[in-house]
Amino acid sequence: MKSINYRYTIITSLIIALLFSFNGFAQELDASNYKMRLSLSTVKQPDNSRLFEVSFIGQNKEDRKDKLPVFEAEIKFYNEDNLLGQAKTSYDGIAQFTVPADQNYITDEDGYINVLAKFEGSDGLDEDEDDIQFKNLFLELNLEEIDSVNTVLVRAFIIDSAGVETPIEGVNVIVSVDGMFSKRKLEEVIIEEGEFQFAFPIDIPGDVNGDVLVYSMINDSDDYGTVIQSKTVNWGVFKNKIRTEENKLWTDAAPIWMYIVLTLMLLGVWASFLYSVISLFKIKKEGKEIEGSQTQLHTEQ
Amino acid sequence: MNLENRKRELAKEFSPMLEKTSNASKILMGFLIAIILVGVYAFFVQLFEGHIVTGMRDNVVWGVYIINFIFFVCLSYSGAFFSGILHFIHTPWKNSVSRIVEIVTVLSLIIGPIFILLCIGRLDRLHYLFLYPRIQSPITWDIIAIMTDLVGCFIYLFLTFIPDLAILRDNSENAPKWRQKVYKFLAIGYQDTPTQRKKLHKITGALSVIIIALAIVAYSVLAWIFSLTPQPGWNSSIFGAYFIIAGLYSGIGVIIIAMFLIRKYYPLNHYIRKVHFMGAGMVLLVISLLYGYFTFSEYFSRWFGHKIHDAELLDTLFTRYFWMFIFANYIGVLVPVVIIFFKKLRTIKSITFAAVIAVIGLWYNRYLIVVPTLESPYIPIQDTREEFIHYTATWVEWSLSLAGVAAFILFFMLIMKLVPVVPMSGIIDYERKQKKNKKSLNKL
Repeated sequence: MKSINYRYTIITSLIIALLFSFNGFAQELDASNYKMRLSLSTVKQPDNSRLFEVSFIGQNKEDRKDKLPVFEAEIKFYNEDNLLGQAKTSYDGIAQFTVPADQNYITDEDGYINVLAKFEGSDGLDEDEDDIQFKNLFLELNLEEIDSVNTVLVRAFIIDSAGVETPIEGVNVIVSVDGMFSKRKLEEVIIEEGEFQFAFPIDIPGDVNGDVLVYSMINDSDDYGTVIQSKTVNWGVFKNKIRTEENKLWTDAAPIWMYIVLTLMLLGVWASFLYSVISLFKIKKEGKEIEGSQTQLHTEQ
Repeated sequence: MNLENRKRELAKEFSPMLEKTSNASKILMGFLIAIILVGVYAFFVQLFEGHIVTGMRDNVVWGVYIINFIFFVCLSYSGAFFSGILHFIHTPWKNSVSRIVEIVTVLSLIIGPIFILLCIGRLDRLHYLFLYPRIQSPITWDIIAIMTDLVGCFIYLFLTFIPDLAILRDNSENAPKWRQKVYKFLAIGYQDTPTQRKKLHKITGALSVIIIALAIVAYSVLAWIFSLTPQPGWNSSIFGAYFIIAGLYSGIGVIIIAMFLIRKYYPLNHYIRKVHFMGAGMVLLVISLLYGYFTFSEYFSRWFGHKIHDAELLDTLFTRYFWMFIFANYIGVLVPVVIIFFKKLRTIKSITFAAVIAVIGLWYNRYLIVVPTLESPYIPIQDTREEFIHYTATWVEWSLSLAGVAAFILFFMLIMKLVPVVPMSGIIDYERKQKKNKKSLNKL
């Protein structure tokens, strides 16, 4: 009896100690340890639609490697005071919103489009926002054969309020082709007078049908953001043609020497069999002649 | 020597063996037929239920059937080799064993390939082997070799039968009519004239050379079915020669056993004498030493190389198959060597015992070549079940194996009912030569 009480006392004490342990409480997230960062970026896609992407991630103030994405946070996208749309962040803390190509943006006096991404706050988080300014750049990618040379032509321009195309200058444009794991860069040029061209290399194999996916990209420009244009063209050239092998150990038809050796061996052997059989017929013939003459002799007698 | 009288004497001496069947023989034949019928039943069970009734599965795709195939075909090739060699040896004692060797050759080559047919899952596709042969494949070479060898050995056997069939044709007035007709038909009008004899000897001599070469080539091709694969345990440059030696070893063993049984159950002590067992025993001794050397060389080089897969295979052989390995490669070699090496131990019975040990050891040797190797796959087999890894033959396989052996013995006995097991023409040829030599000596 005394021992049972003693045992219960021990167990109870342990439970109480665990409850009052400094690390005994379930961990709660203390948002005050984290600094929230909301960043907005834009990509103009090959179909001229524009993707706005917000990254809403909390970074630990003490340990910068400790990042906590905010999910299910509603982000609203504004162009000036005009609400373009809204999206919620994913488990990675990313919210994406695509604006169609025919969207009429409100521009400022310098021709820039101002877009604001705003998080209006919640019980645990304060409101946050980020904005970007960019000009709506049009990137044209043309793949043409000029004087029997496959040529890549890139044009980059903006359209002002009067509807006039103005070529751009001083922007880094990269032209690349799609590979199995990553893109292969063909040319990197700082565009002048809004256009440039170069001869497409003749050693790009492309896919199994000879199709090549060509990209022209402006990456993270201060004025234009990221702009991507792509086109597919059947300019793939197989450098090493696949040679069909014949008469090998592993092909349908055997090596010629095998046919010859096998035929000679078999001919030699079966010829001897044939010779034996013919000789047997001769023996039989002689035997019949002897039997015939013996029968005739008996008959005469 | 009056030739015709001598032929009549020999025909009279051997006819009882051909025409009369003792009760013991009848009982034995009945027993053999019973075993064969059980085998036929097992075959139909396999045919209708599929290969699931055998022990072969995804891992071990070759089992007792292939082992029997190799065993019998190697027996045939060794028989062909020996009969070809014997043709060129001009000794009196060769006559008594030559027909035994020739019959073993042909029967083994008939029985052996039947086991391959049992191993094939889809017999309805058998003709594909001939319609769509792959010339680069050793299996295609083996099919061609076996078919060619079968035709050659048949012709050779028939050639050696002709003179005896002619003697029996001319001296079987008291025999049943059907037997007389058979002898007349098969004798093809052979009258033992000098021209006929010359022709017959010529083609027999030519075929002797051909079948020796054919036996060696066909042997090697059978070995290459295994050795030309990358499978550890099979991929060996000496497999061709190893198979030849092993085949010769099993062949001489079976010949000794056949001589013993024929001598025991037929009144042929005068013809099959101790000298034959001594000669065959010497051949067995020499070949056992060669076989032992090849076996040692094969396993020693695998062990020394210590390649992972070879090491795994050797581990399997020395654990799961330990006693079989010991019997096949130690007892099967050393017992015959000891018995035949020491003169005091050399008796007819002890030599026959040595031959039995050798033959069993060689069957185990084939088992160890096929099954443990397949149980240690070179490339891992995915999704395999535990019960598929190890092979155990089922009653179906054992029944068919025993049926093959029974068929071999039965056909041997039936052929001995057709022609004498000791060639009468050989006896006459030998006596003719003796007389000729005597005349030459007298002239001198």
